[in-house]
Amino acid sequence: MSDPETILELRGIAKTFGDKVALKSVDLSVRRGEVHVICGENGAGKSTLMNILVGIHEPTAGEILLNGKPITIADPIAASALGIGMVHQHFTLVPSMSVAENLFLGRHPRKLGIFSDRQAMVARSRALIEAYNFGLDPVAPVASLSVGQRQRVEILKALAFDAELLILDEPTAVLTPPEVEELLKVIDTLRRRGRTVLFITHKLREVKAVSDRVTVIRLGESISTRNTADVSEADIARDMVGRDVFLVGRKGNAVRHFGPPLLRLGAVTLTNAAGRRLLDSVSLEVRAGEVLGVAGVEGNGQTELAETIAGLRQVQAGHIELDGRDVTHLSVARRQELGLGFVPEDRLDRGLSRTMTVAENVAATNYERAGILRHGLVDSARLARFAADKIREFDVRGARPATPAGTLSGGNMQKIVIARELARSPRLLLVSQPTRGLDIGASEFVYERILSTADAGRGVLLISSELSEIFALSDRIAVIFSGRIMAVLERAEADEITVGALMNGAGRKAA
Amino acid sequence: MQSFTASLRALVAPLSAIALTMALGFVLVAAITDQPVQAYRDLLFANFDSWRNFGLFLNRATPLALIALGITFAFRAGVFNVGGEGQLFAGAIVTTMLGVALAGLPPLILLPLTIVAGIAAGALLGWIPGVLKVRLGVDEVVVTLMLNTIVLYFTSYLVNQVIRDTTAYGAVSQMVPEGIWLPSLPGVPNATSGILAAVVLALLSWLILFRTKWGAELRAAGTNLRYAEAIGIPAGRRVTDAMLLAGGFAGLAGALYVLGIGHRFEQNFSPDYGLVALTCALLARIHPVGALFTALFYAMMLNGAAYMQISTDVPRSLVDLLTGLLVLLMTARVVLSRRKA
Amino acid sequence: MVLESFLSSVLEQSAPILLAALAAMITLRANILNVAVEGMMLVAAFTAIAVGGATGNIWLAFFSGVLAAIVAAQLLSLVTLKFNADFIVAGLGINLLAAGATLFILERVYNSPGGLRPIAFPALWHVPAGSLSFIPVLGPAMEGQSIVTLLALLAVPACWIFLYRTPIGNYLRAAGEDEHAARSAGIRVGRMKALSVTISGLLSGLAGVQLAMDKLQFFLPDMTAGRGFIGLAATLFGGGHPLLTAAASFLFGFFGALGDRLQAFDIPSQFVLMLPYAAALVGLTFARWRIVMRNRPARVTD
Repeated sequence: MSDPETILELRGIAKTFGDKVALKSVDLSVRRGEVHVICGENGAGKSTLMNILVGIHEPTAGEILLNGKPITIADPIAASALGIGMVHQHFTLVPSMSVAENLFLGRHPRKLGIFSDRQAMVARSRALIEAYNFGLDPVAPVASLSVGQRQRVEILKALAFDAELLILDEPTAVLTPPEVEELLKVIDTLRRRGRTVLFITHKLREVKAVSDRVTVIRLGESISTRNTADVSEADIARDMVGRDVFLVGRKGNAVRHFGPPLLRLGAVTLTNAAGRRLLDSVSLEVRAGEVLGVAGVEGNGQTELAETIAGLRQVQAGHIELDGRDVTHLSVARRQELGLGFVPEDRLDRGLSRTMTVAENVAATNYERAGILRHGLVDSARLARFAADKIREFDVRGARPATPAGTLSGGNMQKIVIARELARSPRLLLVSQPTRGLDIGASEFVYERILSTADAGRGVLLISSELSEIFALSDRIAVIFSGRIMAVLERAEADEITVGALMNGAGRKAA
Repeated sequence: MQSFTASLRALVAPLSAIALTMALGFVLVAAITDQPVQAYRDLLFANFDSWRNFGLFLNRATPLALIALGITFAFRAGVFNVGGEGQLFAGAIVTTMLGVALAGLPPLILLPLTIVAGIAAGALLGWIPGVLKVRLGVDEVVVTLMLNTIVLYFTSYLVNQVIRDTTAYGAVSQMVPEGIWLPSLPGVPNATSGILAAVVLALLSWLILFRTKWGAELRAAGTNLRYAEAIGIPAGRRVTDAMLLAGGFAGLAGALYVLGIGHRFEQNFSPDYGLVALTCALLARIHPVGALFTALFYAMMLNGAAYMQISTDVPRSLVDLLTGLLVLLMTARVVLSRRKA
Repeated sequence: MVLESFLSSVLEQSAPILLAALAAMITLRANILNVAVEGMMLVAAFTAIAVGGATGNIWLAFFSGVLAAIVAAQLLSLVTLKFNADFIVAGLGINLLAAGATLFILERVYNSPGGLRPIAFPALWHVPAGSLSFIPVLGPAMEGQSIVTLLALLAVPACWIFLYRTPIGNYLRAAGEDEHAARSAGIRVGRMKALSVTISGLLSGLAGVQLAMDKLQFFLPDMTAGRGFIGLAATLFGGGHPLLTAAASFLFGFFGALGDRLQAFDIPSQFVLMLPYAAALVGLTFARWRIVMRNRPARVTD
């Protein structure tokens, strides 16, 4: 029996990768013309589910019904032919090409048989842009657009394929707060035009702001589907977490004692070639024994802040002090000798070498300290022993010392990076987006390590765009917006609303 | 145990490329001559028919092995060094020029001087593409190819116009003084003792690359430069270091060729050693000890081709053809299944 | 008069470099660094001379030369796209194979390892003398140029139109710039790369045919002399854009022609011969230096 209002129905969808269960059983029913949020923690299976819907993965079990008819989705092209369009977190746009060229990529209208009909492309793009009131210039190259504008191009691309059902995969992760507002308006327009939107997120505020109904999935299972108007954020949160996952948070009211500052930034300024300030007079202090969280929407200078402290970028003005010493002009290596540990935001980019072994990755900065060298040469038995110790201590699953690091899962790679950096017992640990792409178990492990580092009397600078993470771990919270520190708040005086407003760039307040 | 089976598995791909190429070559040889077995025997084993042949074989292998070792360092640092030929020529010409110009110096001073100068010349030529890549991101393949041609013309000028031996036929320089000729390998007349340097350096290169922190840093820079930077390795410097070494090894090959084999600079002394050495390094999966063996294998083929041409009617350029095939197939992989996950 | 004849020799020098550069450019736009242009040129040159010498038919020679280069390109795309070989290594393999195979055939079939010089060879069509003299300077410079030079000049706008004004060209660029984006738009990336390699073979073939058939009408084992690599440098110098690539090719051709003129003076020929290579090296470095300088962070002004 199928409800004519239902456009998409999933029954008992399951997916396993080898012996790893990504989805146990998901039921979902999406009504025509609604905005339906799929909500769940990282690792709950949201991405797997969406990849099944656009034909990237095949379900191991279960049924997909579109307009009441069972379907199989072979690949993304087949999905779009069925009217399912997806806007990925990572855009699929060609930067050097114009908006119109991107919209019609793969299906240019032709003239004289062999040439692209550019007038037609531009005209049809313009009509589409105006129909949804997206405010884009069809001939502007995508490279010149902001992230929010690019996302709109991406949405239009799906619409130009006549997608009836539009899937947005964590669309706000890369947006600045004003852009998020814009996006929410865009989604409203889509709803009014009769499109169905499936919106994936784990941010509770967005759920309430945008959706008609919400389905929560947890550990590969659908837990509940409810009308958004009938539930509170707390209800959704309870469904999402299911158990007390983040027990390891800082207690907001506990009195803690901090030592002298271990890291001090004084009016640090960084510019790009065009003269824009990527970091604008940033001043911060991290004391011994504390976790300072830097909250902010991605792309507001966090990458630059981390790289500047690590020594990978040279500041144009200001100074950096590490443990009382001016390190502004010192190399990465010198800073590390002076007690800096650095866990970069993207482990594949800067965190490790995928083709080198686990042992070599873990030992990379620890050869002398861990006594791996003998007569100046690497003693392979000692190297293997050191690596085996770290694998055990950090519970790196599926790893042997001689395994290439790239064959491990994201969480286990992250553990290798953290193991390497903590092996030096750094005075100050700089961690950037430490749990991105990690499942709950691995995240908890990382949290424990971060907290125990601070408890051991060292300093931690935690940069994260996950507010829940910031709140769980930080003693103080700094908010970064557009390269500026908007405020530094005590944990006790910080709440989601204040911090959220600061992340929006609103309510400036002296630090 | 695990690493042993892993290294066995690593041998499968290059060995199957060699086997496939040799098989294709055999088909070709069988098509054009009625004594294909004789031809192939000569190609592979005539090198061991006499001490003389064996000596020539070692002489062929020495420059190949040295350049291939250098290229191993470059590859491990992520640089595609096609400039072995130019670096080799630079080393050879500078060694010759110094040897000829300072012939009056006592050999005990002149010999090390010429070797060091040859190494330095090669190293300089390796450093240029290295530093251009690190500092400006200029593509090293194009730079090394351009430098090869420039150096070849430049040496041609020097040997023809500056240090030419007017009594000899062809573009050859005057001889370097006999006092600085390298002794021949004990027991093998007319084989250069330079081969010993190649063997020692192959082992040393392995030690440096895989058993020192410096080597680990170089490999880290080669596999992921941004990672290497982030953990405090002076990654750019490791890359230029590797290119200095690569050039230095090729320069040494040139110096040892002049001092141990040719005793003078000959414009046509290299059957494209640079590119063949690149082949050897790749075939050995960028492993220094492996590169020594692939260089020996290649030397065997290069010289064997000449014997083959004499005894049968198969032209020696068969080897060039087979090299091309081998390089073409070398990095090919058959991906068995590509099912959806 | 001096100007016209100099311009004429610039054109003559530039034509093979230009074609080689466009050959490398079309693959570069599909994100392939094509070092095999050199080898494909050599194959074309050899085949053109061999076929022309045997048949006496100019068009048969011309087309078989170009076709041979396209076949070599297919070999390259087979091992790289089908069997995942590394593009640079396999490209060098094509070069070695081309050199080895031509030499092998010279030795085995023609019994002359030094080269191949047919007794009679049909002439390629050239712009007749005096036919363009009504155009000042450029007209006389064009006179006496081969039809392949004309094709080379036409290939520049043709490549531009193909890349920027046809659907396929756009898809090819998309495949080169962002494989993931192209694939999600339903573009067959492998097919686009194969197409670019094929076009590259066609253009390299023209370059090789021009080298062998324009004036010389014989084949030498090393007759390409690195022109394929100079073309590659011109492409990188021009950032993969047809017009800038053409400009760079003419620059290197200019240095080649300049070198020829300098031979009249008392300059060793080797320095003259290395001029285009040195120019390519300096030009490439300069182009990168400018980009790096432009991307330096701005100073803080307060």
